[in-house]
Amino acid sequence: MSETHAIKVYITTSFAPDVSPDELGDDYDLLANGVVESLHLLRLIAWLGERFEVNLEDADVAPEDFRTVATIHRTIAELRGVATAAR
Amino acid sequence: MWSSDLLRAVRAHAGGERTAVYDRGRAWSYRQLWETARGVAGELAAVGVVPGRPVLVNAKKSAGAVALVLGCGIAGVPAVLVSVDLGADAVELLVERTGSTHVLGVDVEPEPGAVVGLRARATGVAVAEAMPGDPPLVLTTSGSTGAPKVVPLSRVGVERFTDWAATTFGIGAGTVVLNYAPLNFDLTLLDIWATLVAGGSVVLVDPDRAADGRHLAELVAAHQVEVVQAVPLCLRLLAAQEQRFESVRQVITTGDVLPSAVLATFPTVFPNAAVHNLYGCTETNDSFLHTVTDFDTTAPLPVGRPIDGVRALVLDPDGTEILGAGRGELLVSTPFQADGYLDPDLTAARFVTGVAGHDGVFYRTGDIVRRDADGLLHLDGRDDFHVKVRGVRTNLQEVEHVLDQHPDVSEVAVVAIPDLEAGLRLHAAVRVDSDINSLALRAHCAKSLPRTAIPSSFEIQQSALPRTSTGKVDRNAISRSHQEARKAHV
Repeated sequence: MSETHAIKVYITTSFAPDVSPDELGDDYDLLANGVVESLHLLRLIAWLGERFEVNLEDADVAPEDFRTVATIHRTIAELRGVATAAR
Repeated sequence: MWSSDLLRAVRAHAGGERTAVYDRGRAWSYRQLWETARGVAGELAAVGVVPGRPVLVNAKKSAGAVALVLGCGIAGVPAVLVSVDLGADAVELLVERTGSTHVLGVDVEPEPGAVVGLRARATGVAVAEAMPGDPPLVLTTSGSTGAPKVVPLSRVGVERFTDWAATTFGIGAGTVVLNYAPLNFDLTLLDIWATLVAGGSVVLVDPDRAADGRHLAELVAAHQVEVVQAVPLCLRLLAAQEQRFESVRQVITTGDVLPSAVLATFPTVFPNAAVHNLYGCTETNDSFLHTVTDFDTTAPLPVGRPIDGVRALVLDPDGTEILGAGRGELLVSTPFQADGYLDPDLTAARFVTGVAGHDGVFYRTGDIVRRDADGLLHLDGRDDFHVKVRGVRTNLQEVEHVLDQHPDVSEVAVVAIPDLEAGLRLHAAVRVDSDINSLALRAHCAKSLPRTAIPSSFEIQQSALPRTSTGKVDRNAISRSHQEARKAHV
């Protein structure tokens, strides 16, 4: 499973159960459209930290970094210091 | 121009180096805040604002945004404050309604005292006439509709309010006050504007970190905050940190029902604080205050008694005044209230005169209250369609209306579901004629609703919604089946 797909599975299962992971576009605005509410954000960040083994809690991240699946994936990649494009 | 009281005060404080605002770890002195505000006023003149004609301020809360509002005052243009979560369509509607010549924001957060990175978009609306009454600030109710109500505040009302707030909660030179609410909420009249008039220091909570209890606790401890006014959500997050906030002298809960389990922790969490329940609304500002004496109660806090100068009436459905104990709609007349909405038709419906033989203008709150034998008032809810979601007043019917306008939607019901974290959250049951999913419906809602009014969950089906025996959509059944499904899921 690709990393973006794993992110999509988590987000749809947790916050939009009627949606299949493939229906969630990479650039869909999760924040403006209320899929990920402010109270959910901490939960999402905790999951990402665990799943991708990155330390997000102490990192300099803002809600903007979690606006779309694409930005989430980029944020994780940057934190790893891996400047590769999304797989 | 506007609220000369506030501008005079900030300018007077600008002589010293006292801190006006703490924002994201940086301290802004009154001198720096004033200099940035003056810079804004200069830029506003350059982009062609017209004195007396309103501008729409659509800025995320920050020290730069506070300076922007002050700069509007110096430039003599009424600032219409809107929610940054407002959809683009709703912003355009407000521009038209208010006749705002520009939409303003802060592009780049300035260094304290430096020139703000002003973002100004000319709207092209015809400059017709100045907003009546030279309002010091224009607030917009956070209503869930695509058309927030526009409330131009009264200058004398704001001056009376900042005086009252400073006296009642002991806000003076150097007092440190936490600001949790967004800039367009009336709560800021207390925690930002009254504090600046008094020469105190405002600690701004970064809206991006407002759900992070650990961060909130660090702010209160680091700045030795003395006054906290916030919706229960913030107080619950603070209480959950299991810290003692010794510096806090006044805790003011407002905007929603405080869970009794949270209240019970206050003597430990805020050992040196008086705790108050404050009731008010954008149109009239605060009208009732209750100072808590019993922390071990399961009953919801009363809204208490009218504050000095406030008159309150309880009316039964026939419009007859209830004297003594009883239940009915609350009407208030406060020294702080607005003269009305910008829209005279709305004003006529809510700001009423000649009520039960009383002089003056009363505001119909729409809240149902119960007066007990001791004269204390208790909130008994609103009519069925008005709820509070994360402190924001939301009309379920308006959310339904927006969803109903989507071409694929044939039936819709939106219900409020109790939620441990948020208090209440919205759930939408929708009947559709296509395979549209919740992502598309959310994007549709986001165009004209604030974020708090976008349902948290959707149930999408192609069959009919359940109905009661009288043929109405059965909201109770929808609410029940959703909660049962969630329990099974957990």
